[in-house]
Amino acid sequence: MAVSGWFVLLVAFGVVPIAVSGDPAMFLYWLAFCLVVGFIDLAIAASPRAVRLERDLPSRLRLGETVQSTLLVTNTGRRGMHGLIRDGWPPSAGATPRRTRLAVPAGERRAITTTLTPFRRGERRAAHVTIRSFGPLRLWARQATLSVPGAVLVLPPFNSRKHLPSRLARLRELDGATSVMVRGQGTEFDSLRDYVRGDDVRSIDWRATARRAAASGPGLVVRTWRPERDRRVVIIVDSGRTSAARIDNEPRIDTAFESALLLGALASSAGDRVDLVIFDRRVRARVQGATGAELLSRMVSSMAPVEPELIEMDWSAVPSLVRSVTPHRALVVLATTIDAPGASRGLLSVLPQLTRRHTVVVSSVTDPTVLDATHSRTTRDEVYLAAAAERALLDQERVAAAIRQLGGDVVTGAPQELPPALADRYIALKAAGRL
Amino acid sequence: MTDQQTMTRPAIGQPAADTAVLTPRARTVLRRWLFWIGAGLVALVIGVLAFAFAGSAAAGGYLDPESAAPQGSMAVAEVLRQQGVTVVVTTSLEDTQQAIQSPDATSLFVYDTDQLLEASQWRTVAGLTHRVIIADAGFVTLRVAAPAVAQAGVVDGTLSADCDLPVVQRAETVTGSGTGFRVVDDAATATACLGSGDGVFSLVEVPRGEGTVAILGATDAVTNEQVVDNGNAAFALGLLGEDETLVWYLPSFADVESTGPATLGELTPPWVTPALSLLVIAVIAAAVWRGRRLGPLVIENLPVTVRASETMQGRARLYERSNARLRALDALRVGSVQRLAATCGLSRLASVDDVIGAVAAATGGQVGAIRGLLVDDIPTTDRDLLALSDALLTLEREVTRALRP
Repeated sequence: MAVSGWFVLLVAFGVVPIAVSGDPAMFLYWLAFCLVVGFIDLAIAASPRAVRLERDLPSRLRLGETVQSTLLVTNTGRRGMHGLIRDGWPPSAGATPRRTRLAVPAGERRAITTTLTPFRRGERRAAHVTIRSFGPLRLWARQATLSVPGAVLVLPPFNSRKHLPSRLARLRELDGATSVMVRGQGTEFDSLRDYVRGDDVRSIDWRATARRAAASGPGLVVRTWRPERDRRVVIIVDSGRTSAARIDNEPRIDTAFESALLLGALASSAGDRVDLVIFDRRVRARVQGATGAELLSRMVSSMAPVEPELIEMDWSAVPSLVRSVTPHRALVVLATTIDAPGASRGLLSVLPQLTRRHTVVVSSVTDPTVLDATHSRTTRDEVYLAAAAERALLDQERVAAAIRQLGGDVVTGAPQELPPALADRYIALKAAGRL
Repeated sequence: MTDQQTMTRPAIGQPAADTAVLTPRARTVLRRWLFWIGAGLVALVIGVLAFAFAGSAAAGGYLDPESAAPQGSMAVAEVLRQQGVTVVVTTSLEDTQQAIQSPDATSLFVYDTDQLLEASQWRTVAGLTHRVIIADAGFVTLRVAAPAVAQAGVVDGTLSADCDLPVVQRAETVTGSGTGFRVVDDAATATACLGSGDGVFSLVEVPRGEGTVAILGATDAVTNEQVVDNGNAAFALGLLGEDETLVWYLPSFADVESTGPATLGELTPPWVTPALSLLVIAVIAAAVWRGRRLGPLVIENLPVTVRASETMQGRARLYERSNARLRALDALRVGSVQRLAATCGLSRLASVDDVIGAVAAATGGQVGAIRGLLVDDIPTTDRDLLALSDALLTLEREVTRALRP
């Protein structure tokens, strides 16, 4: 039950008859009048329970996008319904308007449209719908909450896809342009073609030239190479304690997701097979065996509900995890944090096992404010802060050096710069044939 | 696996098959709260009853005919009623005047414990009936109602009958504790009884107009506690039960006449109070209007927020609080040496001495001074620390300018 502002006005208006009549008993008469009118209004209000509700909303959207959620209200009662309706979305779903006026004649159906602009990744659930149905005098209202579950999956935004075209272009440059490239391990024979001026003379295939000369006349033939295809890329994203930290108002795990998505898109179009595992002490999400467009769609939907857990990453389980993903040699990308030697001990202890079989790249987000803090040293507080920042940089540098010593590779960058940096490292490794 | 969980998770984008109502019906709520409503009502009834029974014994003042306390006079009033005397209790002069239907067949008993009545009111009281009994009369009372009598202090002990009044004769002995009076005007026809020596009496009857006024000093004889002692009962019943009706008047604040300008309450029109009450109710209704939520709150799972730079700031505060100047400066120096080495094109494994040499060669500075800045100097104050930190920055800039113009 609820009352309206009109009822409050009605009660307050009683001052006039009391003042005009001058009779104190008028107070009680007026109160009784208000109550009787209110109860009558309540009795003839339409029942908010006699409705059928249906939801019509898309199942998924990217973070930052806006979708329309439609709620169809069918009045199954015998009286027309006037009132308010509220769709119970959590605040992070960014639902507007919060409450809507409702007017549904008996037996008819109306659509209530709510605009959703979620501001957090993950699954956003609408728990219930509340209807407040006023009587014909708009004084008192009946109210009921109905359970109409609904949910949308808010996917990671993949803002770094703006870097994809330029990286794809560089991949294509690698392809077939290998006569100028020093060929190495991991490149494979592509085709034979005529020699053109500028080609590396070392790539002339003399045997093919001879065969050709016998068949159709003179002319040099060169072999071309292309980067090896069907390599394996395994991305392990650390969803443990350290990934909850925010840098530039973005949790580390979100940056790791952006990097993983860009790398996944790039590697799958380069013909490599990409597998993703999100792990802390147990597997939070796993995408395996998907290719092409399906890969990205499965990656984003498996990433969407994952939030950082406040537990320590279990590095000792990672080698067997990688082995379970692929028994072959692979590029293993560990998206984690290298902040302090103490915190990275687990990572450093299992790294030799990984580097023995695989190419390992550790990608970590660095805090741009740390670097800024080392430069400004005008006051006493700032000097101490700069010292602490230098110490932090030193710690990171020590961990990175240790990783390099153990045969791994390190990519660091600010949240905006890490995804393209990781993609560039992948292209470099591919060009060098180290996959 | 998580993708499968995503797929089997219910109702993503699907219309609900059935809409269940979560709000319980009014009947259900009522049934659920029935026990507590009943328990509350029972507690209320018990409280009211307890107050009604306990309150009657405790309340009531001296000579109150409705009080069963030792100082009250309920016993006398009740016995008088049983004997057929109509006992009317009043608390204001107006009520008293209304209660007296026939002045000739009514006795009036007045006890003004707080001296509330004024001379003019006493004049009225004294003439209300043919028989007025005034207990513990004060100075003003005596001057108006019985000018021939004056107060004579405190009386104690048991008094014997010593006059012709039949009331006193029947009682023989009366508990005298109370006030004593003296007849000061010898010419007056006053009957003084229950003397305690030295011309002090505890009951004085003076004629007034066509009736009489009795000034009673032995008031304890009428109380519940002492009415059974001596001849008190006979004395009290005889004194008060002479007529068919007894008006027992205990003046209260209603008799106090207000003086000065009219109060705010008297000036306001009668409708203002109910109007204000109505506005208060309207405010409560407004609170209900604004306070009623449109449905229950929706649970939001908040993410963990950890600022990554917090460890750095914490470490800076630790340095600062413990004045770890050398440690802080060493951190700055190591950073500077690494950057200088990189600028000078030395390897990452180059020793500090190599770096100092390279820097000295690049800037043309003295090796000793550079060595002091990069290794040896120990800051003793924060001022030193600031100066050294600035010098490090300056040196880095100079080397950069010298090697990369």
